[in-house]
Amino acid sequence: MPAVPLLRVRDLTVTHRGASEPAVRGVSFEVHAGEVVLLLGPSGSGKSTLALALSGLIPHSLDAEVTGTVAIRGHETATTPVAVLSRDVSTVFQDPDAQIVTGSVLDEAAFALENLCLPVHEVLARAEAALRRMGLWERRAHNPDRLSGGGKQRLALACALATGSPVLILDEPTANLDPQGTADVHAALAHLAGSAERALILVEHDLDAALEIATRAIVLDASGRIAFDGPARRILSAHAEEILALGAWLPSAALAARRLRAAGIPIGPPDALLPLTADELRSALEETPPGFEARRTLDPPSGSSPVRASKTEKTPPPDADPIITARGLDISRRRTRVLHDVDLDIAAASITAIIGPNGAGKTTLVQALAGVVTPPRGRISADGIDPAVASPRTLAAHIGFVFQNPEHQFIAHTAFDELAHGLRLRRTPPGEIDERVGAMLERFGLTRKADVHPFLLSGGEKRRLSVGTALITRPRILMLDEPTFGQDRARSEELLALFHELRAEGTTIVLVTHDMDLVIQHASHAVLVEGGRVVAAGATSTLVRDALIPIPAAYLAVPPDLRTLLGDDAVGRLGPGSGAAMEPES
Amino acid sequence: MSDPYAGQTAAPARAWLHHLNPLAKLGAVLPAMVLLLFVRDLATPIAFLVLAYAVLLTGARPTARIWAVLLLAIPAGVIVLGLSMALWTDPAQVAATPTVLRIGAWELHAGAFRSGFATGLRLGAILALSLISGLTTTGPDVVRAGVQQLRIPYRFGYTALAAYRFVPRFGYELSVIRAAHRVRGTHGGRGPFARIARGWGYIVPLLASAIRHAERVALAMDSRAFGAYSTRTERHEVPFRTRDVVFLALMLAATGAIFALSIPWRS
Repeated sequence: MPAVPLLRVRDLTVTHRGASEPAVRGVSFEVHAGEVVLLLGPSGSGKSTLALALSGLIPHSLDAEVTGTVAIRGHETATTPVAVLSRDVSTVFQDPDAQIVTGSVLDEAAFALENLCLPVHEVLARAEAALRRMGLWERRAHNPDRLSGGGKQRLALACALATGSPVLILDEPTANLDPQGTADVHAALAHLAGSAERALILVEHDLDAALEIATRAIVLDASGRIAFDGPARRILSAHAEEILALGAWLPSAALAARRLRAAGIPIGPPDALLPLTADELRSALEETPPGFEARRTLDPPSGSSPVRASKTEKTPPPDADPIITARGLDISRRRTRVLHDVDLDIAAASITAIIGPNGAGKTTLVQALAGVVTPPRGRISADGIDPAVASPRTLAAHIGFVFQNPEHQFIAHTAFDELAHGLRLRRTPPGEIDERVGAMLERFGLTRKADVHPFLLSGGEKRRLSVGTALITRPRILMLDEPTFGQDRARSEELLALFHELRAEGTTIVLVTHDMDLVIQHASHAVLVEGGRVVAAGATSTLVRDALIPIPAAYLAVPPDLRTLLGDDAVGRLGPGSGAAMEPES
Repeated sequence: MSDPYAGQTAAPARAWLHHLNPLAKLGAVLPAMVLLLFVRDLATPIAFLVLAYAVLLTGARPTARIWAVLLLAIPAGVIVLGLSMALWTDPAQVAATPTVLRIGAWELHAGAFRSGFATGLRLGAILALSLISGLTTTGPDVVRAGVQQLRIPYRFGYTALAAYRFVPRFGYELSVIRAAHRVRGTHGGRGPFARIARGWGYIVPLLASAIRHAERVALAMDSRAFGAYSTRTERHEVPFRTRDVVFLALMLAATGAIFALSIPWRS
């Protein structure tokens, strides 16, 4: 170990201005060159605050009360200007659009170097080396807006590399990206990891990819203290249950293994640690006691017999009563065709996930089904109405729509008025409004926040309120655009529990998502959209078993017959109910 | 929307206007643009229109956009504005001039036409002059020239440039907010007042996200040493050369000559 660590944190406590509780408490650790540190924790555990403190942006650019010290290569961040620190530490932030400031890829890579007053030839040489490393040199003359989300984040990485700083902090660099962009960024990160001079600090919720490069994990608990610190793989497998209890994520393989164990499938020898990667899961499944393997295939357990059930699904009965049907749906935006001849049935009381890469037309599809963008007449029937001709008021009575950013939908000055709005438009008697809004506040745990301005609620509360406003008129269909985007596991699960509850009451849930863990575990049906066409649709269990939709490697490691056990429906509702029809080839 | 960052690298040598210093181009047209605001005759704006067209047609890279602006947009704008301003003119003031159009008791006098087209041509000339700089200069070059020749603090110039990136983002955000509010059933009726009331409702979410976005951009710039020193390396020199002086002098001389000949304050 080198004598001076790249990064030394001593008793760091950070309290944001105006906050009563510290975001980070008494944190101490050292990071040496060559390490790749994965920083984990539930939201509100201070991961981002810690990342900002490590780069010196706290306290220099963001006002906060700081005790303890952070030193980078011996420079104390509290007394060293950010500009000087920027030679030692670089940060890649979450939002690709919020960190691009210039008009070309080359100018962007040169930006920090120019600010540091390096001579022109050195600026160009370093920018070129960094852009080549990230595969962007050919695109140097392009406006960064023309890059994909993954490309923009690789550009941000190139900018960080160009400064030559030995400490690289990545604060959720893939949180705003689709799976393709995420893979793109992780490939770039894998290329950087393992350098002997550099240390990476990675805040990331996609642990499947992060684990491939991480050497160490630091887990923060909800109060901002370090709960675990040690080798990444050992921490995640030995403390899996504790980490889940904290509300943080686990790798897909571990989640899949937990599900299988809960369903009675032994994963490797009894008391074995959870597998963390697809390969480990695969070999663990192969190691299952031979007796069990035989019993499983010869004598499927009665009752919850997933194996037999999944086989009968090969001839799904036509769904009796889809609540949404679309036939020959075409949508154009600005003269480009976004959706091509889409035929789709969505089963009543299903949780249907719309998946696909960015720009595939997922959001346009749900917006058309809900009448947010006006579809052509006569193509869609949703709960008996045609969204093309229905008035906004009628639409709201049948379909609740929740946008990705809850703030966009808020129109009133208190949470109460926000919920009451839909009812007042309907001239509901005041007594009934009070009663229904009160019940809704109660249900979403917002009773004490009834008089608070919607913008002042916490992130999770805003999300719940926006779902509440869509539900207050008691529609039979609820549509949501990326409802779990940017939320930690605990908040996502809370939301998903709510969806299951609503579904049990007969509400149909349609959601757009990139989160394949969510789709596999919670969605009863899935619709894969690519290039404006529906390329696969049906019961999630069937699609996952036959790998008709892109599923994480960890789930592919599970034998097809067992994959049905991964979903929530495995135990409860095994009926195939494949409400979504395959689109005919066109 | 045009891309303020678009490169100038491809401008051919004969498109001489693209190779001038942005400040020379601005300085050459600004006096004329300001003076035109106070002009009331027809000859002066026509002379400046001719001058601006001559400069643009010889010096700007001939693209479809330039042809469309010069041959369609500006003439159409002048005609529409001229006619509507003619109808707007107070008939009492031009009662002495001959009548050119009579519909029942309503009369349109030649003086109204004259005054209407004076306004239309004036605005057309100002626009055409501004295009000399606007169509042949990129945003970063204006900032660089401002920093290099006018000694404007680079922190100000480059921040303004970064802020320009917000515009398309806000446009998109606004369209999402409008759709989101429509879903809530807040159409609230037709007409200008309902429209204003609706617009007001968009401001809070738009501002909230604007402030958050600006904070993030500021953090990203800080972390990349923006503002570290009083100067920063400039890879592109935007020199002020002899030809810039010549262009500036010729344009100012032309401006002086046109005003000397037309003496527009007389009318």
